Amino acid sequence: MGFFDRFKKKNKAQAAEPAKAEEAPKAAAAAPAPAKAAVANAGQPTTKTGFNPYPAADLGELLPPAPAGGKIKIAIYWTAACGGCDVSILDTNERVLTIAQFADIVMWPVAVDGKEKDIEALDDGAITVSLINGAIRNSENEHMAKLLRKKSVLVVAYGTCAMFGGTPSLANLVPGGASEILDYVYTKTPTSANFQKDYHADKPVVPQTEIQVPEGTLTLPVVYDTVKALDQVIDVDYYIPGCPPQQESISHLLKAVVDFVYNGVALPPKGAEIGVTEKCLCDECPRKKEYARITKIYEPYQVNVDPEKCLMDQGILCLGPATVGGCNARCTKAGQPCRGCYGPTQLVQEHGASALTAIASLFPVLDDDPTCDEQQIIEIMKTIKDPLGYFYAYTVGKSLIQRTVVEEKA
Amino acid sequence: MADNFEPLIVTFCCNWCSYAGADNAGVGRRQMPPNFRIIRTMCSARIDPEFILRALSKGADGVMVLGCHPADCHYIGGNYRARRRIALIRLVLEQYGFDPKRLLLQWVSASEGEKFQKTVVDFVDTIKALGPTPIKSKKQKDMLTNAVAIKEE
Repeated sequence: MGFFDRFKKKNKAQAAEPAKAEEAPKAAAAAPAPAKAAVANAGQPTTKTGFNPYPAADLGELLPPAPAGGKIKIAIYWTAACGGCDVSILDTNERVLTIAQFADIVMWPVAVDGKEKDIEALDDGAITVSLINGAIRNSENEHMAKLLRKKSVLVVAYGTCAMFGGTPSLANLVPGGASEILDYVYTKTPTSANFQKDYHADKPVVPQTEIQVPEGTLTLPVVYDTVKALDQVIDVDYYIPGCPPQQESISHLLKAVVDFVYNGVALPPKGAEIGVTEKCLCDECPRKKEYARITKIYEPYQVNVDPEKCLMDQGILCLGPATVGGCNARCTKAGQPCRGCYGPTQLVQEHGASALTAIASLFPVLDDDPTCDEQQIIEIMKTIKDPLGYFYAYTVGKSLIQRTVVEEKA
Repeated sequence: MADNFEPLIVTFCCNWCSYAGADNAGVGRRQMPPNFRIIRTMCSARIDPEFILRALSKGADGVMVLGCHPADCHYIGGNYRARRRIALIRLVLEQYGFDPKRLLLQWVSASEGEKFQKTVVDFVDTIKALGPTPIKSKKQKDMLTNAVAIKEE
């Protein structure tokens, strides 16, 4: 069975599941326009963290044409993001064309010519769904997130950055915050240092947030000290994790929205995490675990990765045991360790701490070497130059400590 | 730091050794500074690194994890596991900017009331020397709320 065959089979098995979810009581109103009442009926989160699982599934068929009452409005916006999430929406292949048949995309900076003033001109709640990807890095991000929240019935944190802060939130580990980062970027990096030395030896030129010109005042957004996840700034209805999210997740969300708009089927409960399973990634991973103990940590390029054995048994640190499943273990199937982009499982807030616990049990314990003390573990762990960046690669923004601290008596 | 700084210390004690050790210290009427709050767990291996991070994020000045001596664990190997986790979480705390001395792992058996007293006294002294947790500082709060950027705007 080849790689893709395995994937197809899994899809089929999962496609059966959402059918059950659709049996939820049908809301009386079948209005194509955003009906706030139906959203209110959608129910409350049942888990402690407010995340509810909603299994991944494919749409299976093309979406139907425009609803009777006219097209709905969709906005897609990026804040501090790389653009991969926007591209991942195109992973829905031909279905992305049919999105245009039932919805107007009023804003999508990478693809559509919708401007901020167009959004401001809309009535509150005029947009049915806003997909926001990216972390909140500066004042413009926050402003746009709040604007879209005001104009939308549903806001979806799309992708890991919006959900957990993602890779941009690693900037929270810089003790000096925004000023230190800006200073480094504009005066310390070799290229900019040379430029400043050659042309602005007296006073380095750095971007200002405000400047007076004859025509008036020009402004730039203010960079924040602490990068935030989307739900630390605005209220978020649904979450789709992934870096980028798998196409099943976005298809599933679209299906839920389409069902709501055409048939009045109740939406999933607020706070639902779409496209994840209940268990961790290891549950989906086909590799075999033998509970080997490791005394040395390797990167995948340093060893010949055995295609059958668990990566952890081979000394490669994989975040699978701490990461929620739903991605069909694509990375581990390809011989790369899980980096944890889907975030922690439902009842865990600290993704990195959870990963640490799993990894700690890999070291020789009890039967092998009860004397393996703290110092020996630290020796083993020294192979990882940046433990915090490794274990919290995607979730610093939503971690408990959230950003580095500075001891007064250093 | 001001002399009147009284640290707040969260202490995790395992049910079988250290909690009994703390009882022993009490029965023996040993003098201890009242800065610590004990949370009893069944085993030191029950202490998820998340507990420690949560304690620190809520403003604890220090965290003590007390368990059975090696080879004495009620569950045979729990304290070895705890030791490995603490070693790893200490690396993380250090990278977050905390002084690693704010987290202490110590073995206290049920009969060691004296050692419990000594551990507490020493740890309170250590934390008093370190000063209050940087989590509570105004600078940290400003950083977290992006106060500077929002004011500028």
